Amino acid sequence: MNNEYLEKYNKGTHIIGRLASAIALFLLVGAPFLIGKVIGGMPDLSAVAKGFISVGLVWTISSVVEFLVYTPMLGAGGGYLAFITGNLINMKIPCAMNAKEMAGTRSGTTENEIISTLSIAASSLTTIVVLALGVLLLTPLQPILQSETLQPAFANVVPALFGAMAYQYFRKNLKLAMAPLIIMSVLFILVPALISQASIMILPSGAITIALAYMIYKKNGTIEKAEK
Amino acid sequence: MIRTLNSPALYAICGGIIGFVAVVCLVFLIRAYRAGIAAGMDKGMLKRTITSSVTFTILPSVGILLGVIALSGSLGTPWPWLRLSVIGALHYETQVAQAAAEQVGVGTLSAANMTPVGFATIALLMSICIPWGMILSFFFNKSYLKKIKGKNKEEADKEKTPSFGDSAMIAMFMGLVSAYIGSYIGGFVSGEGLFTFKGDLTPIIVAVISAAVMAVFTYFAEKKHMVWLESFSIAGSMLVGMLAAVFI
Repeated sequence: MNNEYLEKYNKGTHIIGRLASAIALFLLVGAPFLIGKVIGGMPDLSAVAKGFISVGLVWTISSVVEFLVYTPMLGAGGGYLAFITGNLINMKIPCAMNAKEMAGTRSGTTENEIISTLSIAASSLTTIVVLALGVLLLTPLQPILQSETLQPAFANVVPALFGAMAYQYFRKNLKLAMAPLIIMSVLFILVPALISQASIMILPSGAITIALAYMIYKKNGTIEKAEK
Repeated sequence: MIRTLNSPALYAICGGIIGFVAVVCLVFLIRAYRAGIAAGMDKGMLKRTITSSVTFTILPSVGILLGVIALSGSLGTPWPWLRLSVIGALHYETQVAQAAAEQVGVGTLSAANMTPVGFATIALLMSICIPWGMILSFFFNKSYLKKIKGKNKEEADKEKTPSFGDSAMIAMFMGLVSAYIGSYIGGFVSGEGLFTFKGDLTPIIVAVISAAVMAVFTYFAEKKHMVWLESFSIAGSMLVGMLAAVFI
């Protein structure tokens, strides 16, 4: 293994990642002002401040939690890219975890860092291409994509994704997986108001599973296939 | 107004930013591939990672495209195209755009009520609510990962076993999937009133079918050594699950 090259690669990842994040942030926040100039109306900053207090604070907290939880899953390169390109829960995280699973790499290793970055970059580019093609072909595609027959299919993208991922991960330790599944199901059944907050409920669900996993890990040294 | 929001100038601004992000992705992709070769990783595995990530992403991307279409009626096409290609998330954009419209006095999110100031304000609010992951990455990605790596190594050295990091990631993902599947079960049982069992059963059926198809893919990949199937297993399972939703 070329250690010097990889050390350089890691340093470079942080430099490029930080630079790209800063430029992307500047472009994304600057765009509404530029667009405002083009269409003849600048953003009303006091309304933005009020709106931020009413809707933005929740998302700010959620973003901090996402950073803390997902950065270790994604590594350096994958982390920078995923936070620039978005759609973390419904796409980037499962995509990176699937790639890691296929490659059989371990968290925190250079190999895992590389697989995660490759996966997030390929996934982001695919979304960019699909959306660009979709926008280009919007007029002919619109009737097909919005046809009533296909609506149930597109309304169930996330259940289809999580069903497939559930098989992949639950089989690693079915007994462990049943604990959060039963707890969450009972919680949502008894407090249906929480159903629309599923993305926030990931945290307690993840915390419970990690705590149980730690107990199994302490006993067996791994959590995988502990029931065998 | 909708004509203005679909003007070539807006396409150029939004397309330019998307282009920049695409270049960044390409740079990361090429660097990671080269580093993989330098690290002695199997070229086939690196290529399989790219193929599986592409196939994995196509179907959810079409779902996101529907989000662009849904928002394009009120915000024009270029802005939702930008938001959902870069940084945004499907569940976030619609919700924040609607809330922002209420805050700026546009009322419901519609092209008929939209004004230039209203649009620029909504666009700015959508932009400043979720860049925090990017900002935190800028400041803390390096130090946070260093800290976690150090902790895992220390633990592994102490215990002479693999670190808990991998197990924690698997557990976190089990928790994530459980929260969503639990919400489908809760929705069916109590979505229309406590224990009425009148909620939508479709997401549960779709998830189960998708999982069953995934099991078939895994069987062939693992037992029949058809490793190439792994690249398409998630996408294939999703496709069958989604198709099932059409026939339910």
